[in-house]
Amino acid sequence: MSAAEETIKDIIVKIVHCDRKILTPESTFQDMKADSLDMVQVLVALEDEFGIEIPDEEAQKFKNFGDFVSFVEARVAEKK
Amino acid sequence: MLKGKVALVTGSSRGIGRAIALRLAREGADVIVNYFRRREAAEQTARDIEELGVKASVIRANVGDPEKLDEMFDTVAASFGRLDIFVSNAASGLPRSALDLDAKVWGWTMDINARAFLLGAQRAAGLMEGRGGKIVAITSLGSKLVWPGYTAIGVSKATLEALVRYLAVELAPKDICVNAVGASFVPTEVGLSYAGGAGEEDEGAFWKTTPAGRMVSPEDVAGVVAFLCGSESFMIRGQTIIVDGGFSLTPLNLKGKGGEN
Ligand SMILES: NC(=O)c1ccc[n+]([C@@H]2O[C@H](COP(=O)([O-])OP(=O)(O)OC[C@H]3O[C@@H](n4cnc5c(N)ncnc54)[C@H](OP(=O)(O)O)[C@@H]3O)[C@@H](O)[C@H]2O)c1
Repeated sequence: MSAAEETIKDIIVKIVHCDRKILTPESTFQDMKADSLDMVQVLVALEDEFGIEIPDEEAQKFKNFGDFVSFVEARVAEKK
Repeated sequence: MLKGKVALVTGSSRGIGRAIALRLAREGADVIVNYFRRREAAEQTARDIEELGVKASVIRANVGDPEKLDEMFDTVAASFGRLDIFVSNAASGLPRSALDLDAKVWGWTMDINARAFLLGAQRAAGLMEGRGGKIVAITSLGSKLVWPGYTAIGVSKATLEALVRYLAVELAPKDICVNAVGASFVPTEVGLSYAGGAGEEDEGAFWKTTPAGRMVSPEDVAGVVAFLCGSESFMIRGQTIIVDGGFSLTPLNLKGKGGEN
């Protein structure tokens, strides 16, 4: 498990108040019981944390936690 | 008219905020464009402002987050050292009836629409100190009228309008004028989402009964904001100027001419 993945989990748990154990690559936003306000806040927190940009158009394509992680990791890698 | 002035317009990447930013730029002001999610739109607004021959800069900040709001004003202070005009335009909210409003949606809406104006006006007043200034809040008829799903936003706008009156009095000794501009329906992204069937082609579109005969445009709102930012409006304090083409004056939309009795 990557360091980024752990940080993303921290952020989601803090904002969405879901159980950390449910966060697997397959878990969906319904599983997390995250609504659209949670989503915006998670995106903004990730952008600030990793110094990247996650356009809403991209975020709309995310289906599960795994999609989040791969997008963030790809953007962070591009930055390096 | 506003040559040499520095203006900050929150939520000016698109919609009414963008029109206000461009209008102030056309009057000669340098403009700081604030946005939340749409960087490209904000940069486009900034480019369009620069084409008018004045300076533009872009600051991303969620105005509902006091820390980010503070950072935005710190950046303004560092890059311009002062502020002459603060337009609090950014707004957000989710469609919810009163019974479906939870603490989270209520907090989100009030933080962005009302608290940001209070905290922003405090910081703006500091940067206007000793030189006077203009503060304008953008509000809506929903502060008094009732529209489906508009509960939290409407209440946040009522708060905003009350705050405008208090600030107008408290900031008057600092030579700062505070007012609000309230629009009816304006066909921006969010406006259209609430209106439903308000397009030009809709026979029964409610705005077609507006005395002025057309929809309110973002530029109509921007023009009144520019007036409130100029010197001729100096004696207008704590007011909410309604820009609705007379819509709110004729709620019954009566068709008869009245009998002789
Ligand atoms: N449209 C109407 O019918 C109508 C009627 C009466 C009053 N109003 C008022 O007019 C103002 C502008 O409305 P609009 O119709 O132009 O809205 P809009 O088209 O939805 O634009 C909203 C603007 O606010 C920004 N924004 C949203 N949340 C923000 C946040 N948390 N921090 C910073 N910026 C944020 C957006 O930035 P991004 O682009 O980055 O997302 C965008 O620039 C609002 O105060 C609204 O209540 C509108």
